[in-house]
Amino acid sequence: MIAIVDYGMGNVRSLSNAFEYLGEDVIVTDDPLAMDDADRIVLPGVGAFGDAMQAMHQRGVIVPLNRQVLELRKPLLGICLGMQLVAKESVEHGHHQGLGWVDARIERLTPASPLKVPHVGWNSLDFPARDWLFEGIRQKEANFYFVHSFHMVCANPQDRIATTDYGGDVTAVVRHGNIVVMQFHPEKSQDNGLRLLQNWVNWSA
Amino acid sequence: MLKKRIIPKFLIRGGRLVKGVGFHDNFREAGNPVSTAKVYDAYGVDELMFVDIDATLENRETTGSIIERVSEEVFMPFTVGGGIRSLEHIATLLRSGADKVSITSEAALAPEFIRTAASRFGDQCIVVGLDYARTSDGSLRLYTHGGTRATNLDPVEYAQRMQDYHAGEILLCSIDRDGTMSGYDLDLIHVLSEKLDIPLIASSGAGSLAHCAEALNAGASAITISSMFLFSDHSPIKVRTYLETNGLPVRSQKGSHS
Repeated sequence: MIAIVDYGMGNVRSLSNAFEYLGEDVIVTDDPLAMDDADRIVLPGVGAFGDAMQAMHQRGVIVPLNRQVLELRKPLLGICLGMQLVAKESVEHGHHQGLGWVDARIERLTPASPLKVPHVGWNSLDFPARDWLFEGIRQKEANFYFVHSFHMVCANPQDRIATTDYGGDVTAVVRHGNIVVMQFHPEKSQDNGLRLLQNWVNWSA
Repeated sequence: MLKKRIIPKFLIRGGRLVKGVGFHDNFREAGNPVSTAKVYDAYGVDELMFVDIDATLENRETTGSIIERVSEEVFMPFTVGGGIRSLEHIATLLRSGADKVSITSEAALAPEFIRTAASRFGDQCIVVGLDYARTSDGSLRLYTHGGTRATNLDPVEYAQRMQDYHAGEILLCSIDRDGTMSGYDLDLIHVLSEKLDIPLIASSGAGSLAHCAEALNAGASAITISSMFLFSDHSPIKVRTYLETNGLPVRSQKGSHS
């Protein structure tokens, strides 16, 4: 079973629809016991970083999440803001501490003109050949849907396994042990996105 | 490389899709929202846009149920607009599966609402709709309430102010051109895309493949297409192929699982 963590911010329905389409059992929850029962954890998120951290504190999901991800080492998938929350800190609207699972910080996108911010739309990915996460996805057709103004800057370059080009390399996928996080929305990326989610479901950390 | 986006725009009234001319004339029936969304998903369009055109006039909020059903059937981005004037309404639509909301009347009447919504949901969620028409003295003016009420606001100044208020994108709709299939307003697209740092979605006027290329070459990040898809034989595949042949960056593969 997959537990999608509900802390009041996020495209929870689209994500659960996508996993259900793939035939998975999904629960949308903030209950620590339900997370204990799950094999996999998904951290969604749409919105501002500081508000999301505050919402997770208020819902009491940070302690159980740390247990699932750091102690029990269950596969964790973070999407969009859910990706960014695993970083140590963010400078979105002030300065905020993140979950700190990955040594990275979140900074504003600053591409040169005429590129616009937010970075909205389908962009291509540069990813390693023969990686389980991208199995069945053709490099030249690897477009995914992005919608974001901030991006992850990793302290350890080896954590960053896929990038996209937006006035320079922008981190698209980070993998660190049992943690896989992506800036784009696989649940909104049609066939490519569903394939990526299926590959993640097939993976054991 | 980021691709230019092709976005079918659907007007919803009474739970069905409709299409009119000049915002409030001659509505024609255009189908069931969910099945139409599935067809366009199979075509591999880049986003979908739904606007509940009754919503502001009749003080009615867009029904989330259509959105929920669409998000069960298609795994692609979509934007929902029409009568949005509360944070709770935005939260409901996002929870129902929408990725972005478009806000037109309330942005003009209460601009602080855009700032508040952007700080709560993120700039990237908030599309500000800009409906405008040319007045009898030749100047351009912003309209609200589904194109029925003129304001004294200038569209260019207004768009820049909405950017300052943290709008994520501007959706530019010409009341004069809507439904006429006579081409996009290239002059204003050019001016706004030069002045704005946020993406511009050009709407209103697509009638030929050349029109689509013109709007994107004028600087739009995305184009919406409505009448041309519903009432001509130009499919999204033809549009995409034409744009690609003319050197514009578009997704080349079919996108859908169905």
